[in-house]
Amino acid sequence: MSDSDAALVARTLGGDLGAYATLMARYRDKFGGYAFHMLGNREDAQEAMQDSFVRAYRGLGACRQPDRFGAWLFRILVNRCRTVRRRLQRDRRFDADLPDDIAAGGPRPDSFEWRDEIGLALGRLRPHYREAFLLRYVEGLEYSEMSEMTGAKEPALRMRVKRASDQLRELLRDVHAG
Amino acid sequence: MPAERDDRIDDEVLHRVVAELRRPVRLDPAVDQRALDEIRSEAPGWPASRHGHRWGAWLAGGAIAAGLLLAVLPGSGSRQPAIAVAPAAPMPAASIGRAIHLRLEAPASSRVAVVGDFNNWDPAATPLRPAGDDGTWVVELRLKPGRYHYTFLIDGRRWERDPSEPPAAESDFGAPVSVLTVS
Repeated sequence: MSDSDAALVARTLGGDLGAYATLMARYRDKFGGYAFHMLGNREDAQEAMQDSFVRAYRGLGACRQPDRFGAWLFRILVNRCRTVRRRLQRDRRFDADLPDDIAAGGPRPDSFEWRDEIGLALGRLRPHYREAFLLRYVEGLEYSEMSEMTGAKEPALRMRVKRASDQLRELLRDVHAG
Repeated sequence: MPAERDDRIDDEVLHRVVAELRRPVRLDPAVDQRALDEIRSEAPGWPASRHGHRWGAWLAGGAIAAGLLLAVLPGSGSRQPAIAVAPAAPMPAASIGRAIHLRLEAPASSRVAVVGDFNNWDPAATPLRPAGDDGTWVVELRLKPGRYHYTFLIDGRRWERDPSEPPAAESDFGAPVSVLTVS
């Protein structure tokens, strides 16, 4: 039987880095999808994940509910993804800068598959819309949890999820039908 | 966790989108090792519990009556602080850099420290010192140009953001934090 998060946090606070390695391995792939879909590529997702692990370790004593370490780490990751995304936008490397003809339904390379299309469509959403959609439907958070995590009020989050859904549906309808 | 009933997805396109996005995404396991390397290289004394604190308890306190003043002194100081500043507490990497004077008025407090990016958020690294009998606490930092997140720890329990500097746009740890830019 594997150690609980609370036990691993306690061992880490006692100086056992091996316990922290176990926590990282437990959550790397579990949260990797969120970072990947928020940032649009694996390299930046890995950077955000690594940075989140380091920051979580630095502030581990602030984790008030060690049995909910995963939720606490995820909150840090959500913030790190925002930071990385802003930097990418400054550097103009974000997917939102993809040519309009691709995202708007223009000619696509034949190799593009459904997963690629979804990635392109997500990249066309406003970051707050994308974040809200992923938190709500992919991560399965309640609006109250999303509000606590993002600082946005629930009505605003509902609006973002609705608009993200409408835009994704519009962007992907033709691909889906084809 | 299922979505709330009032905004269930009832559209086939979005069903397929969500199903695709829920598929696992594997990141390079080397991420873990790189994080460990970074942890080992920057702060061998961490985590904070080594100093006998539970940081969570810091976040539970209420507000205290505190006035705060930050004075940035170029070189030897063309702007004098309102009060005499005690010698700086030892800093991890701070024998050079610009003099930054922090001052906190917290008369009901028994000890005050500053934690931030410049001291790896170590509550034992940078205590403030009493500057007199009126409850004023001071410390001098030596900081290289850059942008630093920081906050104050009062009586080992309460975090108090510096109101004289901008708040952090986001707080990873859910606690009040300020941002100091040293030019």
